[in-house]
Amino acid sequence: MIAEEIKSELKQVVGEERFFDDPEEIVSFSYDAYILTSEPDVVIYPKTTEEVSGIMKIADREKIPVTCRGSGTNISAASLPVKKGIALCFTMMNKIIEVNTRDRYVIVEPGLINGELQKILAKEKFFYPPDPGSMNVSTIGGNIAQNAGGPRCLKYGVTSDYILAMEVVLASGKIVRFGSRNVKDVTGYKLSSLFCGSEGTLGIITEATLRVVPIAESHRTMLATYDDLEDTANTVADIIGSGILPVAMELMDKTVINVVAEASGMSLPREAEGMLLIEVDGVEEAVEKEMSRITEKARANGARDVTVAHTQKESDDLWAARRLAYGAFARLAPNCIVEDVTVPVSNVPKMIKATREIADRYQLHVGILAHAGDGNMHPLIAHDPKDKDELRRIEQAAKEIFETGVSLGGTLSGEHGIGLAKAEFLPLVMNQDTLDLMADIKKTLDPNGILNPGKFV
Amino acid sequence: MDTTDIDKCVKCGLCLTSCPVYFEVCREPVSPRGKVQFIAACNQQNLSISRNLENIFSQCLMCGTCTKNCPSGVRHDMLFMRMRSQIVQDFGRDWKKRVLYHFLSHEHQLQLASKFVKFGRNAILENLARETKLGNIQLKNMPKLNTVPFRKQVPVVVEPKGKLRGTVLYFTGCATNYVYGDIGHAVVKVLTTMGYRVEIPGDQVCCGLPMFSQGGFETAKTNILKNTALLDRSGDTAVIVDCATCGYALRNGYTEILEELNADPSTAKRLSLKVRDISEFISQHFDALEPHFDPEKPSVKVTYHAPCHLRNSPAVGTPLIEQLLEKIPGVDYIRAEDTDSCCGGGGTFFYDHPEISKQIVDRKIKNATETGADLWVTGCPECRVNLSGNLKNPESLQVIHPVQLMERSLKRTTK
Repeated sequence: MIAEEIKSELKQVVGEERFFDDPEEIVSFSYDAYILTSEPDVVIYPKTTEEVSGIMKIADREKIPVTCRGSGTNISAASLPVKKGIALCFTMMNKIIEVNTRDRYVIVEPGLINGELQKILAKEKFFYPPDPGSMNVSTIGGNIAQNAGGPRCLKYGVTSDYILAMEVVLASGKIVRFGSRNVKDVTGYKLSSLFCGSEGTLGIITEATLRVVPIAESHRTMLATYDDLEDTANTVADIIGSGILPVAMELMDKTVINVVAEASGMSLPREAEGMLLIEVDGVEEAVEKEMSRITEKARANGARDVTVAHTQKESDDLWAARRLAYGAFARLAPNCIVEDVTVPVSNVPKMIKATREIADRYQLHVGILAHAGDGNMHPLIAHDPKDKDELRRIEQAAKEIFETGVSLGGTLSGEHGIGLAKAEFLPLVMNQDTLDLMADIKKTLDPNGILNPGKFV
Repeated sequence: MDTTDIDKCVKCGLCLTSCPVYFEVCREPVSPRGKVQFIAACNQQNLSISRNLENIFSQCLMCGTCTKNCPSGVRHDMLFMRMRSQIVQDFGRDWKKRVLYHFLSHEHQLQLASKFVKFGRNAILENLARETKLGNIQLKNMPKLNTVPFRKQVPVVVEPKGKLRGTVLYFTGCATNYVYGDIGHAVVKVLTTMGYRVEIPGDQVCCGLPMFSQGGFETAKTNILKNTALLDRSGDTAVIVDCATCGYALRNGYTEILEELNADPSTAKRLSLKVRDISEFISQHFDALEPHFDPEKPSVKVTYHAPCHLRNSPAVGTPLIEQLLEKIPGVDYIRAEDTDSCCGGGGTFFYDHPEISKQIVDRKIKNATETGADLWVTGCPECRVNLSGNLKNPESLQVIHPVQLMERSLKRTTK
């Protein structure tokens, strides 16, 4: 509980109209896209760095937990206020401060929707590469806090590769700025790497300068279908191993193909065991050449059909269908968990085989989806949260999937983050001294432990 | 309340930015996901119906975009209508809306009220207005009502020119009948030119959607049953509507509401198969109209606003209308950046939430103006009221129905 006089103090910082403690607002911040719920005490929508700083000074003094949130689309409970306190929501702090394609950067506020930034940049024939599945909804602040990835990160890299500079409000309310507008910048520690992916546990991002890149001259999207899921995975390993670097290589198994076909109304090869959605970009001649090499490799690995999208619309439709996968899979049952274990690409065939075997052994309804080109697996587990026995089996299966992934040189999460969902599995990939180091960093930056408490650190 | 749909929601949040209201307000409680979770919380008794909740559920344009885009197949529209119905039962209805619904559900009273127009005033509208504004619209920018209702201006049966291709029933809707007679005349002109006998049943009543989208299912039922009985005839080629919203009601809403009320939906289902939006109908029978266009027509720049109930209709959608516009001689079609987004009118939304509505419509106007178009076509009279009512300079960008554009493009001899 937050005392009334503290509430009025907080209200003074942002004004009555952006401070809420009514039951409706509280309920609407008690969830994100993960299955757990927990209510905050108050919800505040800041619009300026100074307001954030003002709120943090009060919160730190009173030791009130503060959990930041953008659109609340993450699937690891990273934005869930598990220790109650303040839910700090950035959706109203959403301006684009500067677009500078000459020097190839943009400066934005954290609440800006990724997709809105893409629209503005597209007019200048530029784009910002990180493209999480939620990109039309999720905010840049959330993307940075989670170090978001996405399909095209295979070629272009993830969020942390695109941060040039940041403004961060610390737990104490102090405002720090680091980085510059230059790609080359070794002035001091690279602090952006510390805050990017910290999931709101170290500081609050209030402004970011992001690197943007020109849209390639030419794009091609193709679809390869297989009668055997292993052939699908082998194609991926073969292509990446041969030195070709597509923008994205998305793998879907039969279950996912059918669910997506159902939800999108698109005609996809429903009887296929596996499907690869591959995109390449670059100058026209290179794209042509890469496409024919990819087609060769796909066929050599057993693809029974390879089709190239002929129009922009065909290509857009294929990608729209792919983006539907997660939500559509949830049609099969009341809920859907998506795991995020990531392995070196040469081990993708082994990982897929193991996942299938584990899912069958625990009698789970699993669909396999993967950003296969970078080994980022997304097994989707449709389930009913009311079925306690099924939940227990899911927990067991998830543990085995993580262990298998780690034994294949992989890691717990490629892009979704640890949050609450995977906190207990951290010791699988980090020894105690490493965990202690993270705890020490956390203590230095947030001595009272008020920033997103109850999560992985 | 039926909650199967709530369980389908995985809280992915993909509906957030598809919601025009959320896009402006940026607060989770007004988002489609938020509203679904509120219904869930009420069912689990974690939350009770309150004035605040009533206000939240009124912050919905009923545009159906969330429903259309939901990967998990949640029927937000039906859930929200049911919730509104529940709220009305618990709290009663705002008296001004009661007056409005009373008129809409009693055709003869609506006709009586429209007689006041003869004194040159929008009497009903003025009573509903707050000072000089009705919602987000300046009263002086509200369209004047027809001096005589459209259906009284035309015979019940209008014979076609040339060879008879078939008979169509024309459901005029309230807007054409009482406000935009010009749309009605254009519909009749275009259809008869194409060779269709147009029959305009005099006993038709308001489609009922204004009532049921606010949760007034029982009030709407009388109108639904009257209209289905009247329009369900064998032998007619189609039932034509010129209003996106009436089209949605006749095509989808009727069956769903009757099912909701455990009434027999079979007549409504049969009727729904025959309903065609006028633009859709023309597009399907374009060969009948094409020879009558004037090929010498001077070029005119046209942009389009896709009404939610057409854009989200699987049978119509936006590309069909855009392709039709491009086929009209002399039309230089320019797409606006946000052709496909809601205008913010949304039934009584522009009246209940004028500030949010104004933000939404102003952005639409800005983008439409930037296309440099002379005409802004939209197949929904309510969007027309909202768009034209908010234009600062209505002379430079005239808002009309697509069928009016087609009528204007006909050869003089045909006229």
